[in-house]
Amino acid sequence: MRVITHTCPICGTIVAANVLENNRVMKCPGFRCQEVLRFEDVDRDAREHFLENLDRYQI
Amino acid sequence: MKGVLLSGGTGSRLRPITHTGPKQLVPVANKPVIEYAIEDLKAADITEIGVVLGHKGRDEIQELLGNGSKYGVDITYIVQGNPLGLAHAVGCAREFVGDSDFVVYLGDNMLRHGVLDLIESFQSGEYGAGIALQEVSNPEAFGVADVDEHGTVTGLVEKPDDPPSNLALIGMYVFSPVVFDVIERLEPSWRGELEITDAIQLLLDDGHAIDSHVVTGWWKDTGKPKDILEANRLVLEDKELNTVGVIESGATTDGRIELAKSAVIEDGAVVRGPVSIAENTTIKKGVYVGPYTSIGADSTLEDIHIENSVVIGGSEITANGRIVDSLLGRNANVKSAEDLLPEGRRLIVGENSQLKL
Repeated sequence: MRVITHTCPICGTIVAANVLENNRVMKCPGFRCQEVLRFEDVDRDAREHFLENLDRYQI
Repeated sequence: MKGVLLSGGTGSRLRPITHTGPKQLVPVANKPVIEYAIEDLKAADITEIGVVLGHKGRDEIQELLGNGSKYGVDITYIVQGNPLGLAHAVGCAREFVGDSDFVVYLGDNMLRHGVLDLIESFQSGEYGAGIALQEVSNPEAFGVADVDEHGTVTGLVEKPDDPPSNLALIGMYVFSPVVFDVIERLEPSWRGELEITDAIQLLLDDGHAIDSHVVTGWWKDTGKPKDILEANRLVLEDKELNTVGVIESGATTDGRIELAKSAVIEDGAVVRGPVSIAENTTIKKGVYVGPYTSIGADSTLEDIHIENSVVIGGSEITANGRIVDSLLGRNANVKSAEDLLPEGRRLIVGENSQLKL
């Protein structure tokens, strides 16, 4: 299964796609980081793959 | 070599303690469990550590560990979110790990002898992975490895009816980065998770050699209250305990006692080690603190007899009674109902609490 992540450009925290998709727009979960992360920050190919297989990334 | 410290999970088996925080921060001998893992990795010269976080306790773990500088390590946080399995958690660390070999350490596990032997064994050959094993009396309850006379793994089987050996996987691994390609090919198991044992089996199927290392010292998964008490006992037995705080004349002490600088054992108290007493805690007259007890910071004990127990901290325990084999959460108070009418015990008890009166 493809594991998709995105890295915050400010604090370096790595965030799994399921977290980003769940929130769509969110404050970076890095402690005290104020950067705003978006699911759209994930590259298009990975994003499409994630959405096509959404049920496999849920629990 | 890098380290990946898995720190997700809901801690459901440790409720109510984990209603208000992650299980990795529950203290053993007055130190959060996760700090033992960081120290083990540091002792193995691993200073780049990725800490994988779930949904629960993200901020608390980041607040405690920070960027790792206070431990002499450099920490990168990896937010896994949904608990999609250990192999998914490892897969989330791909960018952090890059081309390095790496150790996977479960953040709520403790190993007496750390991970250095496991790493050295892995580095002695050309292995795709190395797994830590321990001899158990009930292998049918674990993932079990079949190994040849050189310690090379020939097969893995999950909770077998007919175990090929008594060597159980204990959840400590070393991987080469080739595991990431294998994880991409994994399918979720019946429980919807990417299983780390499936990843290791695929490595085997692909022809990679898998090393094993049999752990001889104790290993504890601290997932349940009785495990915390057991780990506390094991650590207090091994640890060097220094008395820095005040023991008043008239107090009776015996055995090894860790007493923080601002802690006091007052006249008329009895403390028998091994015991750990943290900062700003006062053991007053009439108290007996028995072996294998850890009392957290900012607590006051009076009249109570307590042994083989863990008090996390911020507690006032002043009842005249005996507490044994107990785990008390932060700011939990135990006071006397002797002068109250009508007679009877007064309880304000959170969900999932367990009392034996």
